Amino acid sequence: MMMDFSHETVVWAAKTFGLIYLVIFSMAVVAYAFWPSRQKEFHDASAAILKQEDRPWR
Amino acid sequence: MFKLHYRLERRAIGMTLGIIAAASIGGFVEIAPLFTIHQTVEAAPDMRVYTPLELAGRNIYIREGCYACHSQMIRTLRDEVERYGHYSLAVESKYDHPMLWGSKRTGPDIARLGGKYSDEWHVRHLLNPRDVVPVSIMPAYGWLMENDLRTDDLSDQLTAQRVVGVPYTPDMIRNAADDAYGQANPDSSRAKGVKTRYGEETNIRSFAGAPGRLTEMDALVAYLQILGHLTDAASRDTVAKDLE
Amino acid sequence: MISNLTTGERRGALLILLVMTLVGLFFAAAGRGDPIAVHGALIMVAAIALAFPIMARLYDPEPPAERFDTYYDDPSKVGIILTFVWAAFAMFVGDWVAWLLVEPTWTTSGAWSSFGRIRPVHTTGVIFGFGGNGLIATSFYVMQRTSRVRLPDQLSPWFVLIGYNLFCVLAVTGYMLGITQSKEYAEPEWYADLWLVIVWVVYFILYMRTLARREEPHIYVANWYYMAFILVVAMLHIVNNLAVPVSFLSAKSFSLFSGVQDALTEWWYGHNAVAFFLTAGFLGMMYYYLPIRAGRPIFSYRMSIISFWGITFMYMWVGSHHLHHTALPQWVQTLGMTFSLVLIVPSWASAANALLTLNGAWHKVRDDATLRFMMIAAVFYGLTTFEGSFMAIRSVNALSHYTDWTVGHVHAGALGWVAMITFGALYASIPWLWKRERMYSPALVEVHFWLALSGTAIYVFALWNAGIIQGLMWRTYTENGNLAYTFLDSVVAMRPYYIARAIGGLLFLLGALAGCLNLYLTIRYAAPATDTASLKPLRDELNDAATLPAE
Ligand code: HEC
Ligand code: HEM
Repeated sequence: MMMDFSHETVVWAAKTFGLIYLVIFSMAVVAYAFWPSRQKEFHDASAAILKQEDRPWR
Repeated sequence: MFKLHYRLERRAIGMTLGIIAAASIGGFVEIAPLFTIHQTVEAAPDMRVYTPLELAGRNIYIREGCYACHSQMIRTLRDEVERYGHYSLAVESKYDHPMLWGSKRTGPDIARLGGKYSDEWHVRHLLNPRDVVPVSIMPAYGWLMENDLRTDDLSDQLTAQRVVGVPYTPDMIRNAADDAYGQANPDSSRAKGVKTRYGEETNIRSFAGAPGRLTEMDALVAYLQILGHLTDAASRDTVAKDLE
Repeated sequence: MISNLTTGERRGALLILLVMTLVGLFFAAAGRGDPIAVHGALIMVAAIALAFPIMARLYDPEPPAERFDTYYDDPSKVGIILTFVWAAFAMFVGDWVAWLLVEPTWTTSGAWSSFGRIRPVHTTGVIFGFGGNGLIATSFYVMQRTSRVRLPDQLSPWFVLIGYNLFCVLAVTGYMLGITQSKEYAEPEWYADLWLVIVWVVYFILYMRTLARREEPHIYVANWYYMAFILVVAMLHIVNNLAVPVSFLSAKSFSLFSGVQDALTEWWYGHNAVAFFLTAGFLGMMYYYLPIRAGRPIFSYRMSIISFWGITFMYMWVGSHHLHHTALPQWVQTLGMTFSLVLIVPSWASAANALLTLNGAWHKVRDDATLRFMMIAAVFYGLTTFEGSFMAIRSVNALSHYTDWTVGHVHAGALGWVAMITFGALYASIPWLWKRERMYSPALVEVHFWLALSGTAIYVFALWNAGIIQGLMWRTYTENGNLAYTFLDSVVAMRPYYIARAIGGLLFLLGALAGCLNLYLTIRYAAPATDTASLKPLRDELNDAATLPAE
């Protein structure tokens, strides 16, 4: 199925798109992590596990 | 309530998709080009397949975990080439399902072992390595000589190999068990077909020195003696890489 | 335990066991003459043995509805016991293997106990038996606590736990019988692989169902790591194990790939098994247990998110650093090397995050061996990832590859990181799960800690030396331009280091056995927790700690 592509084409695609993907992906992750409105959510999440009541919420 | 749960679930699924998206790309970039690599791999028209006996020997090599101590991949480094011979070419393992390149050299590399020692040496060495190499830490494999080789599934094995891409012919598949016996028993009537099917160069002799029997030792030694000799591509290869 | 199951669940379990019995019987009978028959019989016997206790309690009354007020922890408890059992077994085999490299005759004359067969028993036993059970047991624990819901049902966690252990037993007994694919860390044959796929799908669905029922909008980061572990291991496992069996009734199969493709697929798998089994899963453990035990929230939640995506994204590219200077195309090698170097960033971010969390809690680290296990684990995680990136450099790899340096590196990670974080997490969970005041003997935990640390140090230092000497001996030339040493010279030179390693391993093993003893004593004899407050670990310190934001 992939036999129709030449090796060079596949290598080229891997190298360029792989790189673009990497850059976009990293930017998205950083944006997600530093989005100001999420600060509270993250803060609550990290503190929440410490309030351990040993039973499920019902 | 239902709506909240719906949203929560969506998050978990989004997370799943994110992980898949992040994780699959690297493998794709790395591996996909290798499926077109046959366009760049050295050609080796003379490459022959393993005989049923050698294949059975290879299975024993796998079963006993020899690959845990021996590599079959000579790297493009000057000292390795001088110690073990021409560096390994991609084409040389093209019929190896699975490959046995190995990752640890507790013992030496054996990619080009074939013909280095006599059959007798191998048999003695495998029965007890310390008989021939006193400081060796290799295990002894006494049972190989005691166990008769199982041949009833060899035709099935060749068929499965054919499915994954090794060019065994129907003739080879049909005669697999006989060829295995014949290759280690040159005087028997079953020895005749082996060379016609696998080529004039094929080793036909009693590897374990127990004629009339077909032991696991025969198979393993037959395999060891063919290592590095399925093709002459390496000895014809003149474009030496820059060795580091 | 069985009467905690509902009647429907008991029936479901019996049905599953019946199917397994029949499947086992089929393979045992029809596969005669092939090693697969032994495994068929094993599956059948295991299924029947499990069916008896269930049948005995089939008509017990339904469990009380109060169960919904608690988390479902029975599978975690059994999982923890199994983790310790596998630790003792597989580390014993590890030390045996280590002594075999010193004295090759210290074994039986049976084929089953030869080096090449029991070495994978060790690797599978520690990675999948010890590590995997630790991950499953703690993940059940963590997913319930962080989602604040009970597991959605009581049957599927048992299916996952027991099914997974069946896989491990099939794997380990298979090697001793001579059943193996020879692919490192993926040695089990096709039928065991298929079985693991089923188990794994149930595991994933269980995790998703629990998360979907959660009452917290945010999914705590530990779960991200556990999920990456589950998902990516599934991907890797399926792709790498594509194979064609010799026949439906034969244990033997041939890999779909050959040569270069097979090598790269194998190391793409192999390295990501390190990444997603031995790293991501245990990071999940760390992100839950370390903050709780230290009584402080994780230093930077954002950093944990960024490292998560960094690790998930980048690890996938690095497998080819296992194949430097081989027949693999050069650009793939370079790609693997580059990403291996970049990978140091998210790795160190994770290690730093863990250590910075401990800031202000160092007095606890001093007094509490359990927390110290986790602290040392983070240190070793940092060390090992640094070393790994270093070894991925082509010229370094030229020296280190094929030598004992690699084995030393593996064990810096395996003993220092994986085993230490696991023991830390287990020592933290055991009193909570069994409702004990604390472990029966804190002194024994302390002993375990020091045995583990000294064992690891001896092991790793011995093999660093061994590996570098070996690598240098192989490539040293005399003045006339000949190779200076034969291969055998290097074999002989390894002996003192192999002895040291085996002694280091013995210390580590003794530590694990001390842990087993302590577990037993805690379950049998430790004083029950007096008030519910002690179930909320380190409660008093928490109240102020929880108000301390890190950023
Ligand atoms: C514990 C590791 C170990 C295992 C497992 C092992 N070997 Fe070895 N092997 C060695 C060592 C060390 C040497 C070098 C000393 C010697 O020649 O015995 C060696 C040497 C050899 C040699 C000689 C190579 C040469 O070029 O001189 C052959 C052939 C060999 N092994 C074959 C096998 C086979 C076949 C198996 C599996 C049945 C096997 N080995 C399993 C460690 C091992
Ligand atoms: C008692 C402690 C241990 C001892 C004595 C020990 C010993 C050994 C030995 C002797 C080997 C074979 C090395 C060789 O072939 O030269 C090995 C390999 C290995 N062990 Fe351990 N081990 C221990 C604990 C662990 C743990 C806890 C893990 C993982 C969680 C682990 C993972 C591995 C892996 C992955 C390999 C294969 C290394 C490679 O192929 O490069 N070990 N071990």
